[in-house]
Parts: sequence; structure tokens; C-alpha cells
Amino acid sequence: MAAISRNIAIVLAIVLLIVGLAIGYGVGSIAVKPTTITVTTTIPGAPTTVTVPTTITVPTTVTVTATPKVEKKWTVYFIPHAGPADPFWACQMRAAEAAASLIAEIDLKFVAPERYGIKEQIELIEAAIAKKPDFLIVTVSDPEAMDPVLRKAIEKGIPVLAVNIEDYRPEEERIPYLGYVGMDERISGEVLAKEALKRFKEIVGRLPKRAVVGIHQPGLICLEMRTDGILKVCKEMGIPCDRLDITMDPTKAMEILKSYLAKHPDTELIFTLGPCGSHPAIKLIKEEGLVGKVYHGCIDLSPKILEAIKEGITLCAISQQPAAQAFYSVIAAYLYLKYGILPPMKIPTGPTVVDKANLEIILKQIETTGGA
Amino acid sequence: MLRTLGLLYRPEIGAIVGAFLVTCAFSSITDAFLTVDNFITVLTISAELGVVVIGVAFLMISGEFNLSVGALFALAPLTVIALTNQGLDMTLSFIIAILLSALIGYICAVITLKTRIPSFITTLGVMFAIRGILLMVTEGFPLKYRGPPHYLMLTLGGKTPLGFRVSIIWFIILLVIFTIILELTPYGNHVFAVGRDVRVAEALGINAKRIKTINFVLSGILAGLGGCLTLDRLKMVDPLLGTGLELEAIAASVVGGCSLFGGYGSIIGAAIGAIIIAMVRCGLVLVGISAFWYTAFIGGILVIASLINKYVGDWILKRR
Repeated sequence: MAAISRNIAIVLAIVLLIVGLAIGYGVGSIAVKPTTITVTTTIPGAPTTVTVPTTITVPTTVTVTATPKVEKKWTVYFIPHAGPADPFWACQMRAAEAAASLIAEIDLKFVAPERYGIKEQIELIEAAIAKKPDFLIVTVSDPEAMDPVLRKAIEKGIPVLAVNIEDYRPEEERIPYLGYVGMDERISGEVLAKEALKRFKEIVGRLPKRAVVGIHQPGLICLEMRTDGILKVCKEMGIPCDRLDITMDPTKAMEILKSYLAKHPDTELIFTLGPCGSHPAIKLIKEEGLVGKVYHGCIDLSPKILEAIKEGITLCAISQQPAAQAFYSVIAAYLYLKYGILPPMKIPTGPTVVDKANLEIILKQIETTGGA
Repeated sequence: MLRTLGLLYRPEIGAIVGAFLVTCAFSSITDAFLTVDNFITVLTISAELGVVVIGVAFLMISGEFNLSVGALFALAPLTVIALTNQGLDMTLSFIIAILLSALIGYICAVITLKTRIPSFITTLGVMFAIRGILLMVTEGFPLKYRGPPHYLMLTLGGKTPLGFRVSIIWFIILLVIFTIILELTPYGNHVFAVGRDVRVAEALGINAKRIKTINFVLSGILAGLGGCLTLDRLKMVDPLLGTGLELEAIAASVVGGCSLFGGYGSIIGAAIGAIIIAMVRCGLVLVGISAFWYTAFIGGILVIASLINKYVGDWILKRR
């Protein structure tokens, strides 16, 4: 008996859920139809009875027009692969919101996984697509994994803009998004190498005898691209340059670089590709008393790197200006939606070269946006 | 009347009311919530989580926790991709991955039951160990599947012509199977009995250790399977996949009416709990509330659900 009642209870509960969904759907989709009222009036005392048919259409939707006129808001979703728990994305979020606050028509929704997660990012994009936003700004954190969801968005007519990480695959495989806002990784390595070698020559009077590139995450496509660029320029200039796996561990990185310098004492220039590799390189040059003998050049900034630029250890650093990436992409969305301006295939925010000469303005950027 | 109310008080009632309220709340704020697109997204997310939740809830009813499910959710698909990329057949790789998940569930059971250390601690340790090994082996990089689409990936989580993923069908099948096992078989009765009071259960001749070991292994297998359901959708596994999933699974089970002390709960309730979690995730995005609120929302729902389960349950039991 109890088992039967329990089963009845389950059935009742499921029915309740279905009814709930139906009611919810009903509430969401009830369309209010305009009402037509016919009034028949009889005027007493008149020679004839006149019937005046009056049709009054009562509008049920009242639009209040305020001054100045409030224009349609465009919903723009900004969905990167990590959230403001990461300082890099905190800076982007702040800049995106700053841009959106300048434009009344844009309703910016910055959503991101709580921590780095491609699966979560894809799920957020899937959820956002259901809302059919007017514009979608995303990082292509993994081209293969993101391919289906972004193609789905594009098929549904949602304009997509890539920010910070683009689809690096060959052109025929690439996701057909509108454009990309960020640093061009294909040239950032070349720019770093050229600029560092130029400064080295200015200081020492000749090119370095040997150089080395420390890569802290071999296999990561953007780092590999940076390395290729550096190696290409060094080869063109006839400078022997090796590629060294220095790992993410700063202690190990220092040891690996140290043994390389011991084996190749003619090394005069160390390239690193991010703070993970730059910090150990700077420390090594300082600790081993190599300041003025071995120089350093790198990509991406941190307070320690800025300090090293001031001290003359780091010749120059390449910045991708994260705040600019977020700001430009929101503006690009607005221009597209408001005026039909297509963003160019690439809106570069870097490579920008940071050295002693422009240190002050970069410090301002860090102070106002939280990153550079 | 009160007797009827008492019978009506099934563990899943709270979850059903919760799902109803969450649906009403989100659909009254945004039209996009009750759309086919969102429905499919919610079901896809809840299917992958839900398969894990079924195992976690089953184990929880027998009075134990498994916090290593999040790590197994990454380990199994990672094993499949790693072995397949090495040239092994994907079906064989899949079997190995599931066996590995089962083995880890078994190890958790042995450590917990032999040493009587709370499963909360042993499985926490196992979770950290697996996660550490995954990070070490992959050096933090996502592992990509390099081959052509394989029938196994499509069978596990491929897209159907109707737009939804096969993983949803797996979720429903497993939900039915485990509900039948729990509600209608002697094994299910034993699970409840062991969760309520191990000593009483043993006095009745039930082998409590065997029941718990089987449930640990099942939770391991289902966690591994849940991870493999993502294979076709993502075509890669990053070593951090499923981080925090163990807590979402426990939250879903509790929202679904499972007692944290064992002996009480329902698989249907836990599955609805998983759907609520997926609804909150998607609903927040649609409403445009920053997704950082997600964790806070889940926390709030968990606390409210626990309170409802405790007080309503106590109230009804007192009046029986």
C-alpha cells in the first residue's frame, strides 16, 4: 500500500513539474492582443434613432517616449576563458565595462568561468546563444573545441569577434568570425628580436655573438609562434640562437639557463616569452653579476620586468595591452551594430615596444587599467 | 491528511519545487529561458553532471562520499585520448579508462573501509593525487584528439539530428536503471539499510562493506563515464576539466533530498538537483548577471534545500 502511494506521489510530483514548466512557459509567452469595443448609443428625443457605431481600439502597450529618446539597447556578450580572479582578465573586464559605460545603446554582459576552463567557457557561450545576443566577443581558447559552438552562433546570425586569442589554424579551417582584436603573435617574436638587437647594437656597438630563447610552455601555440619569429630574425642576422625548454618552474628555469650560459659563455642576449620565463632570467643576470654583459628582451609585462627595464637589464619588452583589447572590441561591436562598420580582420593592440623611453606612459596604463 | 502528507514527503519533493521555482524565476525575467536552445543547453550540461551525480547520490545514500569524482571526470577521457593518440583502438582505450576509474573507486573503498578513515578525507586525498598526476603528465596542456570522428565518441555524446546530444539519452537510461535498483530491488533496500545504520544492517545479515565497496566502484565508473560523454563535444581534455565538479555533485544530491548522513535520498531527486544546477548556470548567463555569482547562487540553494529537507522532514516524521 505504502509503495503504491509512494509511486502515486512520484507521479504527482512529476505532473507538478510539468505543470510548472507549462505555467512558466505560459507566463513568458502570453501575447496581449489589442481589444476592439463597439459602442451603440441611442439619443432620446431625436426624430429618428441614430445608431452611432464607434470602434475604439484600446492599446494595451503604452510606450512612454522620454526625452532624449532612448534607443534600442544591443546586448553584447563578452565571454573569455577565465574571469577576474586572473589579473589579466580583471583588467580586460574593467576596460570592457569602461567602454560600454560610454555608449548608452550597448548592454554589455561580461560573463566568464570562475576559473580557467574551456568546457565552462563553451557552456557559457551555448547559454548566451539561446538569448540570441546582438554581438558576441570571445577568446578562441581552443580552436577545435570552440569550432562547433562558434559556427553555430555564426549560423544563427550572431556576429562573432575574437579577442586576445585568435584561431591559428590554416585559413580554410578557421572559424569565420568577423575579426580579431589582439596582438599578432606571428609578428610579435620578430618585432621583439629586431627591437632588442637594435638596442643591443646601440649600447655595445655590435650584434650579440649568441642568443637564446627560453620557452616556458613548449607546445603552447602562441609561445611557439613567438619563438619562431625570434629564431627567424636571428638567422637572418647570422646570430646563432637556440630554443631552450625552461619549464614553468622558476627555480628549474634559472638552473637550465645557468647551465646553458656555462656551456655557451658567448651568449649575450636572453629572450623570454612571458613573466614565467622573464623573472628567472632577470634574477640570473643579477645574481651572477652579468649586468652589462648579458642582456634580456621579453614579451608581456610585470612590475619586475618594468624594474629591469629601468635598471637597463631588459632592453625592451613587448606588450599586448589587454585593456585595449577589451575596449576596442566593445567599440568594434558598437560600430558594427550602429553603423554597419565591419571590423578589419585584425585590430592589433600589439606588439608595442616598451623601453626606458616610454616607461612612464606604460606605468600610467598599469595604474588606470590594472595591466599592460 | 497528515498521513497522506507524510507519504507525499518523498526526498525529491524539495528538488521538484526548487526546479519549479527556478524555472518560474528565470522565465519571468527573460524570454530566452524557455526556449528550445536553452532547454538543450541545460540538458547537455545536466546530463554530463547528472551521470556523475547518480553515482555520488547512490554512494551517499549508503553513507559515504566520493570527492575524487571531479578528478576521475578528467582522468577517464584523458586516458582515452592519450591511448588513442598512441595508436590504440578507441573502444579498447575507453574500456581501459572505465576500468581505471573503477579501480580508483575500489582503492578509495579499500582505504576507507579498512582504516575507517572518513571517506571525505580519503577521497579528498585521492582527488589531489589524481589531479597532481594529470597536471604532471600533461604539463598543464590540454590533450587534443587527433583522429577522425570515432563511432564511440558519437555514441557517447554525439549530436542527434534533433539538435540534442546522445549524452542526454545515457543520462535518462542510467537514471531509470539506478532508480529501479534503488527503489525496487533487495540491493537497493540494503543500500538504504547500510546508510541508516551499519550495525543494524550487519545484524540483519547484510554485508555492509561489500555494499559500500560496490557503490564506491559504481561512483568511480559513472564519474569516468560522465567525463567520456564530453569527448565528442570538446574533442580535447584539459587536466583541470571537472575541477569543483565533486562539490556540484554533492550539492545536486543534497538539493535532491539525499541525506549527508546516509540512509535517505533518491536518484530522481539528485538528477533534478543536477538539472537545477545547470538551469542556474544558464539562467544567470541569460539574465546577464555576472557568472561569478554562480557559486554564490549554488551555495544559497544548497543551504535552503538542506533547511527545507531537515525541517519539513522532521515535521512530517513527528506527525506520523
